[in-house]
Amino acid sequence: MTTTVAGPPGAARARSAPKEEERRPRRSWAPYLFISPFYLLYALFMLVPVGVSVWLSLTEWVGLGAPRWVGLRNYRLLATDISFHRALGNTAVFVLVAVCLVVPLALLIAQALNTRGLRVRDLWRTAYFVPIVVSPILVALVFGLVFDRQFGLANAVLRALFGSGGVDWLGDPDLARVSIALVMLWRWTGYLTVFFLAGLQNVPRELYEAAALDGAGRLRTFTTVTLPALKPVTAFVVVTSFICAAQIFEEPYLLTGGGPAESTLSVTMFIYRAAFQRQQFGYAAAAAVVLFVLVFGISRLVNRLLGIGRAAS
Amino acid sequence: MTRARLPLYAFLILLLVGFLAPLVWALSGSFKPRGEIFGYPPELLPDPFTLDNYRTLLTEQSFGRWFLMSTVVAVVATVVSVFVCALAGYGFAKFRFAGKQLLFNVMFSSLSIPFAVILVPLFVILVKTGLGSPWFALIVPWVAPAFGIFMMQQYIVQSIPDSVLEAARIDGASEFGVFRTIVLPLLRPSLGALGVWQFLQSYNSFLWPLVLVSDSSQYTLPLGLQTLFVSEQRQYDLVLAGAVLAVLPAVALFVLLRKQLLEGLSTGAVKG
Repeated sequence: MTTTVAGPPGAARARSAPKEEERRPRRSWAPYLFISPFYLLYALFMLVPVGVSVWLSLTEWVGLGAPRWVGLRNYRLLATDISFHRALGNTAVFVLVAVCLVVPLALLIAQALNTRGLRVRDLWRTAYFVPIVVSPILVALVFGLVFDRQFGLANAVLRALFGSGGVDWLGDPDLARVSIALVMLWRWTGYLTVFFLAGLQNVPRELYEAAALDGAGRLRTFTTVTLPALKPVTAFVVVTSFICAAQIFEEPYLLTGGGPAESTLSVTMFIYRAAFQRQQFGYAAAAAVVLFVLVFGISRLVNRLLGIGRAAS
Repeated sequence: MTRARLPLYAFLILLLVGFLAPLVWALSGSFKPRGEIFGYPPELLPDPFTLDNYRTLLTEQSFGRWFLMSTVVAVVATVVSVFVCALAGYGFAKFRFAGKQLLFNVMFSSLSIPFAVILVPLFVILVKTGLGSPWFALIVPWVAPAFGIFMMQQYIVQSIPDSVLEAARIDGASEFGVFRTIVLPLLRPSLGALGVWQFLQSYNSFLWPLVLVSDSSQYTLPLGLQTLFVSEQRQYDLVLAGAVLAVLPAVALFVLLRKQLLEGLSTGAVKG
């Protein structure tokens, strides 16, 4: 599914069975007009801000007066800022949770939902998807209640099962990260399941039948038939969840406020805090540029390795 | 046959409970008086049952205004963005032109730009140019999501044959006429899918309104509820009722249009 850029008219006609549209000169301006609104908005609200971010990152600015040029000082400060290192580390943990826990679980659920003759498939699929539709405020409120040390549902369940449940979910640094990870699992798994399920439904039945004839077991079938067929979907899901997790904000901001002791502080929270709570706009911009380089670089690399986004025809 | 399926259904039901229990608990909590929300052991059915949370919320708080703000912003953003995405998706799906691959790559790679990167500069730019009004800033910068264009492009490639377009052109329709009279009607299912998705994105968005909106008369729902929660010393009763009311329309919309949305969302990813 790759596209050839239109050559000179003669060249186009030389190819076999040229399409009508290629012969008509009046078509030439039309596609540019169709795509122009996007590029106008993209330039104004994406390219310009990214450029401004790079410039701001080289200045010191409290939001009033003129920004003062400081060169690379913000980046040097970031390199030794323990809070920023924590934010990077925590965000890496959240990314790992998304890619190594949420994605495989979504695939597992999709496999279950793809069982032939499954009853009320629509019900399961819909119910699992609901958490992503719910406002982050409700998510935060509910999980604030669930993880409450004294009265929360999580401890009530533990108490019922094991007789003790005084777990300080949101107060202990490690458990706070676990809590955020659980919320991520709850919120994102059903959403990603939908993509895997669609991918699985697209795998031709004959492939499974052929595998069965060859006497392949479940695991063999999964690794030799299912996984290769799912490659494009998997690539999409991995990249999407990577990008989402790398800029996670709502879950830690609303649930733990980044604490305790910055153990759930994410990079986006760090940027927000620097800019809008501490008026360090240049410093925030520098952190944002670092995040941009990491996310953009890694996701383009993964895209290239897994080969998605090449299709334009 | 059925017996062999038992573990499967047990797994699915367990998941169902896991995904929905927190929401059901929130719904139940919103009908409990303040002191009972944290009752132990946790009760599923509110006893005593009360509507006071809802009554107080609707009479003493600006819930109606937050709701209106969120809904109007989300509807306008949705309509405009669906149109912009359909236009661009059509341009990429049905035309050959110089620079197409490059332009497509630029569009596609914007999916990899984290929002946090433009958060600070976009805020600064909009405020400095006097465009910081929520009616502009909550809507306009977000009406051209690359994801939507990609989705539209995939759908058009798969489901609109060239011959239909050609027939309309031979009948003398202009290029925009073809788009308006032929393409848009054929696109209806995927417009619905993108529409729901865009609506939910806008309706549930939190970080950008948090940064942008300072005037409490222009709060969106998530912002109003968050402020209420903080000002009530993190008491759950009112906010829980508000959050339940805020979530109901979103869930209802999703359940109504779930088929289009779930299929539309996966179109791009599966074939891409």
